[in-house]
Amino acid sequence: MNAMTESIREEALDLHCEGAILPGVLARPAFVSAATGVIVVVGGPQTRVGSHRQFVLLARALAWGGFACLRFDYRGMGDADGDARDFEAVDADISAAIDALTDAEPAIKQVVLWGLCDGATAAAFASARDPRVGGLVMLNPWVRTTQGEAAALVSNYYRGRLLSAAFWRKLLSGGLDIPGRLREFVVNLRTARQHAPATRDLPTRLAAALAARRLPVLLVIAGRDLTGAEFLAAAERAPLATALADCPLTRVDVPEANHTFSSARWRAEVEAATLTWLRSQA
Amino acid sequence: MIQGFFLPASIGGRYCVLHRPAMASGRGVVVIPPFAEEANKSRSNLAAVARALAAEGAHVLFVDLFGTGDSAGDFGDADWSAWTDDVRLAAAHLRALGCARITLLGLRTGCLLAAAALGAGVEADDLVLLAPQSSGRQVLTQFLRLGAASELGADAAARIDTRARRAELAAGRSIEIAGYTLSPALADGLEAASLELPQAFRGPLAWLEVSSAADAALSPAARIAIEKLQAHGLAVDAQCVPGPAFWQTQEIEFVAGLPQTCVRAWVGLAEKAGA
Repeated sequence: MNAMTESIREEALDLHCEGAILPGVLARPAFVSAATGVIVVVGGPQTRVGSHRQFVLLARALAWGGFACLRFDYRGMGDADGDARDFEAVDADISAAIDALTDAEPAIKQVVLWGLCDGATAAAFASARDPRVGGLVMLNPWVRTTQGEAAALVSNYYRGRLLSAAFWRKLLSGGLDIPGRLREFVVNLRTARQHAPATRDLPTRLAAALAARRLPVLLVIAGRDLTGAEFLAAAERAPLATALADCPLTRVDVPEANHTFSSARWRAEVEAATLTWLRSQA
Repeated sequence: MIQGFFLPASIGGRYCVLHRPAMASGRGVVVIPPFAEEANKSRSNLAAVARALAAEGAHVLFVDLFGTGDSAGDFGDADWSAWTDDVRLAAAHLRALGCARITLLGLRTGCLLAAAALGAGVEADDLVLLAPQSSGRQVLTQFLRLGAASELGADAAARIDTRARRAELAAGRSIEIAGYTLSPALADGLEAASLELPQAFRGPLAWLEVSSAADAALSPAARIAIEKLQAHGLAVDAQCVPGPAFWQTQEIEFVAGLPQTCVRAWVGLAEKAGA
């Protein structure tokens, strides 16, 4: 059964993954789909709909632009069966989605994985193992480490705060816990300056995943997002810097946007950037 | 067994997820989601409730309202009466599947919409109200405050003025809040919404609060609202489930006792009606 608009179709497409049913929705052009299909890898506490319907609206925009786009809940999220799982344990779910998309659209020759936050990181991990993945769209990728978070707070958050009128208003009106904030700042500064641990942390594992295939990457960073800032900081250091340098990388910044791009304007910038990049890959 | 599909409706389809029972009891449940981002945040918990109800013989149907979730349309084009029509559509679909007895199960604003649907003549036998909001006006105010707060940054002052946004709406202009476009029509519908039930509705109802307080109990506001319903001769089974406000927590938090409490209350509704 279809939800019809004039030139795109939206269809329910339930996926099967290791005995679980994962509800999905495929948006596609009414006539011819491009040879590249897109799968949204959902991140954080979201479902296939996305915050403020970001993924629904993205899928429609991509279908309008000629690209089929599948969204789904991975096991344990939203409507999907199965136990809740970490973003590092969703390879089988993504693989099931690629199966379903290529079955539904035989014209599709390669798949681009599109992910926000830990969805971006999960997408990169999956791309290392699945040769059907031909590219990645990564928004504010999640590479959280304790040091990285503190460093991003120090360089991004506090600096922003010092320039914010609301901060000073609140400070002057006595609405801030000054000693508490200072302690927090000092702890974060110390943590930021510690050396990275020897274990394979998330940036290192992400670097290994990217280096495995050296796929084209569209990196979209929101200017008002700690996760994005932390990624940029991590991307300046080896091994992530090296891995990214080896990938054909396109970077788009949306300076005013927050983590989920929670405005029609910012969403539209992301949709346009994704479409432009997809077309440039053809 | 779950299945996703689009129900044909005016201006595009409504996305639905149907939980089918292994052994059908002839009872159907329409799940009516809460407002805006709460619908996303609560989905996993509601799916767990749906699975538990299906295990007890219910056909459980989630319907994404027009302009929300995976359904056709834009949120900015949605209004209250389109949403009550969607509840009607869902109930009719369950009847077509052989459900003789229909429950409307709402969460938060979904309870207001359940009441509105009954008022608009949608036929249902009983209600399960989960953490109901009793005033649409309050929902609207909270949503407008959310918009003002996000504009001011996370450290927004406690007293937030929503007058500028109300003025925009009054002038017939839509406003954007947390990524959602709110139209004057939807704002008007929300503002007028209440938990008042039509005289024709005689069915029993279950009222389930969720509270993370150590001695979780019904709030004074809930008790007043329940007494009002009882004064109209309605049988109300009121309970409090311990757990976080799962529709608004930052990360998804499962309320362990919710599915079974819902099942017990739902089973009890049919027994009450039979008694």
